[in-house]
Amino acid sequence: MYDNDRVAPSVFTAPNAVVNVGNNNVQGPPTTGIRIDNVNDVPTVILPKRFSECSRTDLVILISRMLTFLIQMNDSSSTSALDSVTNLTKFHSKVPPGISVYNYLMRLTKYSSLDHCVLMAAVYYIDLVSSVYPTFTLNSLTVHRFLLTATTVASKGLCDSFCTNTHYAKVGGVHCSELNVLECELLRRINYRIIPRDDNIAWCNLESQHRHFVLDTQDGDDWTPILSNLSGNRNNSGYNVLDTYYNKIVQLVGSLKSTQDKSKLVNYTFANTLKPTNIHNNEGLNLNPSPSGNNDKMTTTCNNGIDNDNNDGSNSNSNSQIGLEQGTSSRKRNLDTDVYESGNESYGKDITGCENTLRNGDRGTSGNLNKRHFNRQKKDSD
Amino acid sequence: MASFSQFKQLEKLGNGTYATVYKGLNKTTGVYVALKEVKLDSEEGTPSTAIREISLMKELKHDNVVRLYDVIHTENKLTLVFEYMDNDLKKYMDSRTVGNNPQGLELNLVKYFQWQLMEGAAFCHENKILHRDLKPQNLLINNKGQLKLGDFGLARAFGIPVNTFSSEVVTLWYRAPDVLMGSRTYSTSIDMWSCGCILAEMVTGKPLFPGTNDEEQLKLIFDIMGTPNESTWPGVSSLPKFNLNFPQKLPRDLRSILQVCSKEPLDDNLIDLLHGLLQLNPDMRLSAKQALHHPWFAEYYQHV
Repeated sequence: MYDNDRVAPSVFTAPNAVVNVGNNNVQGPPTTGIRIDNVNDVPTVILPKRFSECSRTDLVILISRMLTFLIQMNDSSSTSALDSVTNLTKFHSKVPPGISVYNYLMRLTKYSSLDHCVLMAAVYYIDLVSSVYPTFTLNSLTVHRFLLTATTVASKGLCDSFCTNTHYAKVGGVHCSELNVLECELLRRINYRIIPRDDNIAWCNLESQHRHFVLDTQDGDDWTPILSNLSGNRNNSGYNVLDTYYNKIVQLVGSLKSTQDKSKLVNYTFANTLKPTNIHNNEGLNLNPSPSGNNDKMTTTCNNGIDNDNNDGSNSNSNSQIGLEQGTSSRKRNLDTDVYESGNESYGKDITGCENTLRNGDRGTSGNLNKRHFNRQKKDSD
Repeated sequence: MASFSQFKQLEKLGNGTYATVYKGLNKTTGVYVALKEVKLDSEEGTPSTAIREISLMKELKHDNVVRLYDVIHTENKLTLVFEYMDNDLKKYMDSRTVGNNPQGLELNLVKYFQWQLMEGAAFCHENKILHRDLKPQNLLINNKGQLKLGDFGLARAFGIPVNTFSSEVVTLWYRAPDVLMGSRTYSTSIDMWSCGCILAEMVTGKPLFPGTNDEEQLKLIFDIMGTPNESTWPGVSSLPKFNLNFPQKLPRDLRSILQVCSKEPLDDNLIDLLHGLLQLNPDMRLSAKQALHHPWFAEYYQHV
């Protein structure tokens, strides 16, 4: 079942670059695009500690930075070379779609009114799928279909307000029949474990290894001790994982210097009260991050690893401090309207006008957001 | 993972708009199961109700929650394999109707069912899952007298912060007054109101608040429980559908209303528990865990 050599890198385990700051062999992604030499010109947004209080625009920016970083790592890695036929999945496009991750995710968020938790769950599903389906890698060929499918499944499974697959498919630029297939594929691969709980990936792996839909202690003894460990400490019933991901993303790609995705020239950071966390570990689900040593000052230590200018091996805090102590402007936004602020960007003028989506021709006709609320569909049968 | 050939499909048990349920026999184990067939729609893909039911129920392993054993994928349908239960509480109560007169259940059976209902609800709530459609039809029972929560198609996990909470939940007769007045900030208390309605219905054999629309439903509730105001329920007037012109009613005596329809004398503890569950103000309503410690259940928890 498991081919360890081909386990797809997960959101937080993939980048070699963040593994060890003191390692001189650290390779960051190639530096391209706009360079911001004067950090002071870039506004810094102080983010709330919880993703649910963050504006969706900021979430989209942060997530697309994270995914862009992952894609760059994965596209350049030999095991997921773009021309590799053996690793084809249902999520693959023939050629990389011509719409950037940021514009695509913004488009989905805007026209399908994606909830905060849907955006975060989509990131979380990358790790979930990768852990049980090692053939899958998030790269420039898979990212679009994956995002579309993940947000569709999360909206339908976690939210009370959601659209039809016809609508999601139209926004995402694929045929509805294809989205239906992708949805089934995602649900089956993760064994319907769509609830983002802290121990969910571990459970999903166990079920996958034993090829069982659900695990029962009566079924066998080999996993009983593991099960009892998993069911243990369930602080907040284990619903902390999305905030953990959010925190890590901000630490990894919050500063503009740390990302190649220059769609938005803005730095993100948390308020100074946040304790620094050490993300230099290989656990996607590190729920008890240990404070890194020598951190009198608040910093996002992870920036060092993926910043080419600063891989000298010292645990230097200089980069992130600038953003924190100077030029800090806090913005407050309306959670519900912020996504609609910037109307003239290239993620598509309306639901049907997207020229760069995944499907050629056969564009939809309806421009209305056909969002509906979760209604009773069953009548009392008596 | 099971395949469809492993099961022998037997008689139809029920019909819903999104699923048909059959009795089935697992040919390898000889165990009966309930097979819930879900059609995959070309516009909807996998129905959201099925996604919820599967993803939530596979996490819930408890004596008072129906077990989901497996999901079988075939060409254009999903089959959910559930633990088989002989009956549901609605059908069971209907079967005891004499002529046109509904009959309440014996109070010791009411107590045993209600205890199990509270156990099941407490387990869901502990796991941060709201059922949101508790009613006699969705409480499955078997010949051993066990009662289990079923049909999680409207359920949701409430530990994940989600901005949209629908107020279009719970079958009307069992819907809490705060939800009827448009509250979207409800939590576990939404299920507890339903549990109170179910308890009264088991005692009398008749639904407590059988409204036909939202307005009538509220009227029926206020007729018995009294019309709420800012002093009995701080904040009630800011609910979206609160109406200052609600007919002003005083609370009536629950015992005398229910006693008419029950052959056994209703004791103080039962009435007190009902009052705790049927608090108009959701913040005042008993939680499932509190209900399990209610004196009416003393004989159960003292044995634990």
